[in-house]
Amino acid sequence: MKCPRCDSEQTRTMVKSPVGDVWEVYVCEVCWYSWRSTETPVVLEKFKLTPEKITELGVIPPIPPLD
Amino acid sequence: MAKVYKDLREFLTTLEEQGQLVRIKDEVNPEPDIGAAGRAASSMPNGPAVLFENIKGYKGSVVTNVHGSWQNHALMMGMDKDTPTKEQFEELNARWDKYPVPPNVVSREEAPCKENVITEDINLFEVLPLYRINEQDGGFFISKASVISGDPEALDDFGRQNVGTYRIQVKDKDRIGIQALPMHDIAVQLAKAERKNEPLPVAIALGNSPLVTFMASTPVGYSQNEYEFVGALQDGVATDIVPADTAPHLLVPAGAEVVLEGYIIPRVRVCEGPFGEFPGSYSGSRLQCEIQITRITHRTDPIFENLYLGMPWTEIDYLMALNTSVPLYKQLKEGFPEVKAVNAMYTHGIGTIVSIKPRYGGHAKGAAMRLLSTPHGMPYAKIVIMVDDFVDPFNLEQVMWALTTRVLPHKDVTMIENAAGMPLDPSSYPAGMTTKLIIDATTPVAPEPNPRPVELLKDPVGTAKYTEIIKGLIQAAEEE
Repeated sequence: MKCPRCDSEQTRTMVKSPVGDVWEVYVCEVCWYSWRSTETPVVLEKFKLTPEKITELGVIPPIPPLD
Repeated sequence: MAKVYKDLREFLTTLEEQGQLVRIKDEVNPEPDIGAAGRAASSMPNGPAVLFENIKGYKGSVVTNVHGSWQNHALMMGMDKDTPTKEQFEELNARWDKYPVPPNVVSREEAPCKENVITEDINLFEVLPLYRINEQDGGFFISKASVISGDPEALDDFGRQNVGTYRIQVKDKDRIGIQALPMHDIAVQLAKAERKNEPLPVAIALGNSPLVTFMASTPVGYSQNEYEFVGALQDGVATDIVPADTAPHLLVPAGAEVVLEGYIIPRVRVCEGPFGEFPGSYSGSRLQCEIQITRITHRTDPIFENLYLGMPWTEIDYLMALNTSVPLYKQLKEGFPEVKAVNAMYTHGIGTIVSIKPRYGGHAKGAAMRLLSTPHGMPYAKIVIMVDDFVDPFNLEQVMWALTTRVLPHKDVTMIENAAGMPLDPSSYPAGMTTKLIIDATTPVAPEPNPRPVELLKDPVGTAKYTEIIKGLIQAAEEE
């Protein structure tokens, strides 16, 4: 199963519905996008990610130097 | 004595009695139904809270738009639901002065939030009916949590304990992302822990009494404790709190529906977002902190309270309206007693209107500069409009009158470049840097020249009398 945002194949089922077997939630272990099986995710082009883009994202808050 | 609510459930009961809560009993899908209802309710005049009782695949219920109208806001304060906004502002100001009212620390047995405990196989989806709020959100977000954290250098200093609202993205069954912007109190605490490579313990309280949630999103000083303000805003009635189980130095609301306990993983940042944010646009993905959840306590049949935020106005705008205005007013008033009122309701104070009776030329502009250097005003306030004391800053028709008739742009408009800004404001560039704009729409006072002084129009004698006559005629016509 491919991640709708970064196209990674490193996805897995995070949880199944607590009541009945009516949906599952999937998560991508590269960009941490998550979605429910009842959704049809359409990620806008501007929000798509690649491993390279992820490394270039802003860091909030900055990590301070060690004492 | 104003009505005070011990917990969210008591408040929901009052909202329902007052016609300000509706129940949706039919089964709904988590997406897009819950987000859509939050959007719809907050767009309606007198918008009610919406309680979903049957969500596909989940056990529990969700309530949204609890703070999402001026009526609900007034009821939160125990006031008549039709109380005008300015009167709510004035009542908050009066109660604010009762600070500090120390909270009441109850035993574990007395705290409803401890009714159930989960320590193994933690699965947030078993406790919370999580859902995507807006379509392009990167996951399921918790948008209305009160996050409690302490100062690692002074764990027992209650004043420095922080209760704040931060956006939270569910990353896994037992792991969540949190946005701690550098100007927020929790970031100060986190930096101290991360310098020593130590985790920062946190407790996250969901579904609280309405003034706890209100105070968690109020910008107060770093050493001021939010619970002591809750007691003040509850008209002097202390709020009940209880120690967290895993980090007893953290005090959580005793009546919370759910408390997530855990710690911020030190020196780790992971992809988070996008998230539809309060300025009405998505903030993109960033590398942000993550929290490992190690324990959940919750009431039996917990209610998940969450809010919709989107293109203003939505519930978050009601929640952050007067709780941004009042602290800015108080901070400004200390040095400028001539300030009459502050309306910082626009996008969390990015737009702020101040009414003042200036004593001398440049006085209003000086007050604006003070506003821009308050803890909240520094990053948030970008457009500051100063109006005369007789202009009601909550009445935008009056404010527009002041702008159109008091302002000579070449001398009354000031820009301060390269100043601190709010990173989520998409016009800030780079994110977090902005230009401040002060518009002085007050009438010139000496020594500033006022070469064309005017006589302001007054209401004709009898206007009040005719208001009543006309109202009576309309009423009589409706009754026919």
